[in-house]
Amino acid sequence: MKRIDTEAIVIGGGATGCGILRDLALRGIKAVLIEKNDIASGTTGRNHGLLHSGARYAVNDLESAQECIAENRILKKIARHCIEDTGGLFVTLPDDDPGYHRKLMEHCKYAGIPCEELSVGKALKIEPNLNPNALSALRVPDGTIDPFRLAAANILDAQEHGAKVHTHTFVTAIIQEGGTATGVHCHDTRTREDFEIFGRIIINASGVWGQRICALAGIELRMFPSKGAMVIIDYRLNSVVVNRCRIPSDGDIIVPGDTVSLIGTTSKRIEYSQIEELNVDDGEIEVLLADGEKLIPNLSRTRVLRAYSGVRPLIDVSGDVDGRTISRGIVLIDHAARDGVEGLVTIAGGKLMTYRLMAQMAVDLACKKLDVSRKCSTHREPLPGSELTMLPSKHIKYFTGIPQSVVGSTLYRHGERVRQILSLSKHNYALICECEMVCEGEVEYAIRNLNVKDLVDLRRRTRIGMGPCQGELCSYRAAGLFTRLKVATSDESNGMLIDFLEERWKGMKPILWGDGLREAEFTYWIYQGLFGLGDVAMRGEEGDK
Amino acid sequence: MNYDCLIIGGGISGLTCGIRCQSAGLSTAILSAGMSALHFSSGSIDLIGYDRARRIVHSPFEYLKEFTGAMPDHPYAHCGVDTVREALVFLRDTLKAEELEIYDNGERNHFHVTGMGTLKPTYFSQRSVFNDSIRQAFERRAKIAVLNFEGYRDFYPELAISNLLKNELFKNVEIVTGRLVFPDYGDPEKNPFEYRSIDIARIFDTIQYLDEIAEQIKREAGDAEFVAMPAFIGINNYKKHHQILQMLTGKLIYEIPTLPPSILGMRLDDALKSRFADLGGVLIAGDKVMGGDFLDGVLDHVHTQNYGTTRLRARAFVLSTGSFFSGGLVSDSGGMREPVLNLRMSATSPRNTWYSPQFLDRKGHPFFEFGVETTGKLNPFDAEGKVIENMFCTGAILAHYNPIGEGSGGGVAVSTGYYAANQIIKACGK
Amino acid sequence: MIDLENISFDHCIKCTVCTIYCPVARVTHHFPGPKQCGPDTERLRIKNPELLDDSLRYCTNCKRCEIACPSNVKIADIIQSSKWKYFKKKFRIRDYFLSHTDLIGNTAVKYSGIMNFFTALSPVKFFLDQVLLIPSKRIFPKYARGTFRKWFKKFARKKQSAFGTHVVYFHGCFVNYNEHGLGKDLVSVMNAMNIGVTIPRERCCGVPLIANGYIEKARKNARFNINALRKTIEDPGTRIVTTSSSCAFALKYEYANLLEMDNSSIFNNLNYITRYIYDQFQAGNVPPMKPVTIRAAYHSPCHLERMGGVIYTIDVLRRVPGLDLQILHSECCGIAGTYGFKKEYYDVSQKVGSALFKRIEKARPDFVITDCETCKWQIEMSTPYKVLHPVSILARAFEK
Repeated sequence: MKRIDTEAIVIGGGATGCGILRDLALRGIKAVLIEKNDIASGTTGRNHGLLHSGARYAVNDLESAQECIAENRILKKIARHCIEDTGGLFVTLPDDDPGYHRKLMEHCKYAGIPCEELSVGKALKIEPNLNPNALSALRVPDGTIDPFRLAAANILDAQEHGAKVHTHTFVTAIIQEGGTATGVHCHDTRTREDFEIFGRIIINASGVWGQRICALAGIELRMFPSKGAMVIIDYRLNSVVVNRCRIPSDGDIIVPGDTVSLIGTTSKRIEYSQIEELNVDDGEIEVLLADGEKLIPNLSRTRVLRAYSGVRPLIDVSGDVDGRTISRGIVLIDHAARDGVEGLVTIAGGKLMTYRLMAQMAVDLACKKLDVSRKCSTHREPLPGSELTMLPSKHIKYFTGIPQSVVGSTLYRHGERVRQILSLSKHNYALICECEMVCEGEVEYAIRNLNVKDLVDLRRRTRIGMGPCQGELCSYRAAGLFTRLKVATSDESNGMLIDFLEERWKGMKPILWGDGLREAEFTYWIYQGLFGLGDVAMRGEEGDK
Repeated sequence: MNYDCLIIGGGISGLTCGIRCQSAGLSTAILSAGMSALHFSSGSIDLIGYDRARRIVHSPFEYLKEFTGAMPDHPYAHCGVDTVREALVFLRDTLKAEELEIYDNGERNHFHVTGMGTLKPTYFSQRSVFNDSIRQAFERRAKIAVLNFEGYRDFYPELAISNLLKNELFKNVEIVTGRLVFPDYGDPEKNPFEYRSIDIARIFDTIQYLDEIAEQIKREAGDAEFVAMPAFIGINNYKKHHQILQMLTGKLIYEIPTLPPSILGMRLDDALKSRFADLGGVLIAGDKVMGGDFLDGVLDHVHTQNYGTTRLRARAFVLSTGSFFSGGLVSDSGGMREPVLNLRMSATSPRNTWYSPQFLDRKGHPFFEFGVETTGKLNPFDAEGKVIENMFCTGAILAHYNPIGEGSGGGVAVSTGYYAANQIIKACGK
Repeated sequence: MIDLENISFDHCIKCTVCTIYCPVARVTHHFPGPKQCGPDTERLRIKNPELLDDSLRYCTNCKRCEIACPSNVKIADIIQSSKWKYFKKKFRIRDYFLSHTDLIGNTAVKYSGIMNFFTALSPVKFFLDQVLLIPSKRIFPKYARGTFRKWFKKFARKKQSAFGTHVVYFHGCFVNYNEHGLGKDLVSVMNAMNIGVTIPRERCCGVPLIANGYIEKARKNARFNINALRKTIEDPGTRIVTTSSSCAFALKYEYANLLEMDNSSIFNNLNYITRYIYDQFQAGNVPPMKPVTIRAAYHSPCHLERMGGVIYTIDVLRRVPGLDLQILHSECCGIAGTYGFKKEYYDVSQKVGSALFKRIEKARPDFVITDCETCKWQIEMSTPYKVLHPVSILARAFEK
């Protein structure tokens, strides 16, 4: 069996795991990351992408609020191309308790979060689509963050500093020698290969799936998953984050994320056994749309693109079975101290916002164990693409001849790396995804450099298939490119095309009406009516049997 | 404006109906809001491709006898098998009058190859898609070259070939690929990697490049006697240029439908519209019917976005506005309806039953079977449930059939359009 | 700031039919087509106005994309409004000159002889080409002596009171400054049908102003015209007509959809002339006609197509005895108002029109008939045929 030797093993390719890998690599520690699916395919990629100012937590959770504002400031410096400094509003509507407004202001002040009171008129100037009946508004430094890009940029930097990544790879066992975890046994679901990785420390950063990893090492750790549903709408309905100024509840935020807006979120406790099969029910969608419309009335006229849900990894620290001591904060567990298993550390809880801090905490502990003295630098070093060596307009000018919308979109997604991605050769900037302006060069770059194994991975790196048509033309084109670039066989390309369309369908089904239904009818016409792809899918299933 | 027959919807169903009415001497107008679904179709006409167990149907008319008996609400059952047969002959002759020749297999289905290399049973195909020489080449397992223009992003031969080879019929057939390069034409700055099928079809329409392309085909196809290419061999001069290419290369050249726009479908659209215009029919494009008013229990007139207060009057109306895609039916989170006259629809609720769990479900999604309910004569019911005697619904707006799941989209559109026309002609005393 | 007035881009399901039927995308690589320039990139411009492609400028606003669209997306409107919302305003004397038809027209008609002489001179053409970027190949429409309004006041107004029914005539700049003949024909046709003509005060409908980004000026004119026309229709049966299909299109559609002006008070009363004549014919008001022995090819202008007005023109023309009418395949002539007067678009403009020109030459008519003055300029410049207005054909048929 293939054997890999390294120093640190990171389990989990969410933001935290990616952050850990980068931190390890920047401190010169050899590391390998294992992810069972794709980078940012779990909880990281299934939230509303809010760059918290901390204001949302200021009233109830001072510690989280302070962590958020500190990380907010750091990310604005190191992850420029993954975030957008849109600013945010907290808006009190006629139904809301008017006292909460004052309370929030005071708590923000106490937590050190800039918070400015605005007249409704001014708020409407900033956000013209806001409900004009709002009673009051506060401005906070909320922003937006693209979790896919953030995770990918961390991985890219880590790899450029020598770290290794295995996606689509399961941990099947934790190898232990005399009470010390020394390695992991893995299975690559794509190559169907088994292999082992040995290292001096294993960092379990697999979020809600951490319970299973711990179980593999014979350790009991209980997660209390909570499901959050969100709805994506066709275009950017608002240009700043709009929060409802009330005690946190369902449907109280609309975040402009890249070309779309998202309405978040619901919160529902689910059984641990349900975490793999998340769905969104009609009730959740109705609540989100109804509440969203109260914040931005135009919402009712807009096409809904998708609905999806993620699972928050709330963790039980003490081993209390009732889950009363559940923490919403960051939990770092040294299993040597807690369970007598050396060489294994679990980091969980926290939020996307605090991924870097969590990584720093976990790697600090690892360094202590490995006796490495180098300090963390992830709060200073910009992520690849975020160096800001020149103004965006200069990049656009550099690529005169390519439509500005294509250069601008590539630049937006990959920052300074645009120079590696685009070239003036015509096939390079031919559009593959026409909704999100993803060109062939970007597809090729992502496949070659960003650990892309299939079309769904490619979507997370590039936004292919994330626009209004949800992959109607681009999915076939991109599947073809996998074969043309000789990174997949024809059968593999056909298979990933089917998987991609089914993956898109999951999010389209719950909101299948209006233009979404028309789009689905058209897409079905193409892929089944014109291509008969269902016949290929059926043959694939029979083959599996 | 007054017509004998006003048809709302200019797709294949409305056009068939319009051509039939106009050729019987009725003054006919077709009103269309946007281009039709033919632009996205395979360009073949499916009659019935699969039975209810989704087995392939080889003799559609034989099967239809049994099928219509078991499915009394199906549009084919309303038309009757004989009318379906007549309708298809009418369509074939209509297209022939416009010099678009159709291959038919003597009342049997044949297969056409899709862009993904799967085989679809169909009834009529354009002769560049199927004909007897192609059949013979298939049967003697001739070597095939699947060629594509370099960088054309809407067709990938490799993906099709891998599926094709898995089919029993193509076992042990040698299939090779090759790349053609765009001849330097007109606008050198144009990005050939962003061409759509229509751009290439327009290149093929100009005679000056055929020699060069023929040379490339010969070189790339080698000893393959049979060449498959994406369907973009011309939009206006396709017939002549397809023949010239076959002559210059000495090979059989065959077209495969591509991602939209569908050149094969556009040829049908052009031919039908031009036939309708030649017969003196009035085509009102880019307008949308907003509603209509009744007088003495029949529909008196409709009014449209553009004509405002002008009423479009007719003795008979045909609603062939298509399915959701074309706007013939609309839906929102609360339900579905027919937007022009709020005609009675088949049962559709609740929302979570509109779709199948798998996107690529070969049976098609339940929403495809939703639509307007009619009498056996294709007369719809108004909101109160009263039959509208001078109105007929045809094509994809109809309930109780599954165009893709059954492989019956084109056949139903043509047959119901034709059947409605027959009744209107009779009612108008012609 | 996000302006969500035209959110029809949200209905686009990416079928690309608009791009197939776009006459500009067909002839130049500079224009990637209405889908990409309209709904696709509008989503991006809402995110960031800097994601604005220069290619938008190539759209001629012919609206053929909107006719083709099965999703009711106002594609051309999206592109037009993006042009003035996002492009930085650059003052260009040429664009000012081409778009301010009232100002230039009023001056030009005073010195029409000199104007027409000069604009035809090659050194002047060279200057226009090199400095103002107006292509030297472009032939300018001739200016008339004096305005149509003056003629009307002097020779026609008095007679009009003799009629019981009246129609309000919005003559437009072309009739006022260039082609009095058409205005005179309109008066004689109406009078022959026993209808009097009144002409209210008017300003340029705004089409060239919209095309050149003078939106505030266009809105000002629109406000003026809506007010002036509203006053004329206090009797709700009164009809307003134009002899320019583009003026009618602007007054009815561009005012509401692009300029966001409330024109509902005049919307139902206002129509392009053939629609009015059609209604009169339907009502039995058909004066005796004498045969007009002309072989004519009819070209339907884009904006009349968009309004759905073509069938009225054809119906009216088909009633003219002796007129041998061939309906040309519907195609854009390429001039698109002031577009074809700009050096950077001249070639595109001619390429767009080339298919139409070929068809005309193949038809070998005595005359071409069309409803739009700029189509007329384009066809007269690019083919050997003279172009007549449908009203002028009727005028001949009604002549005693």
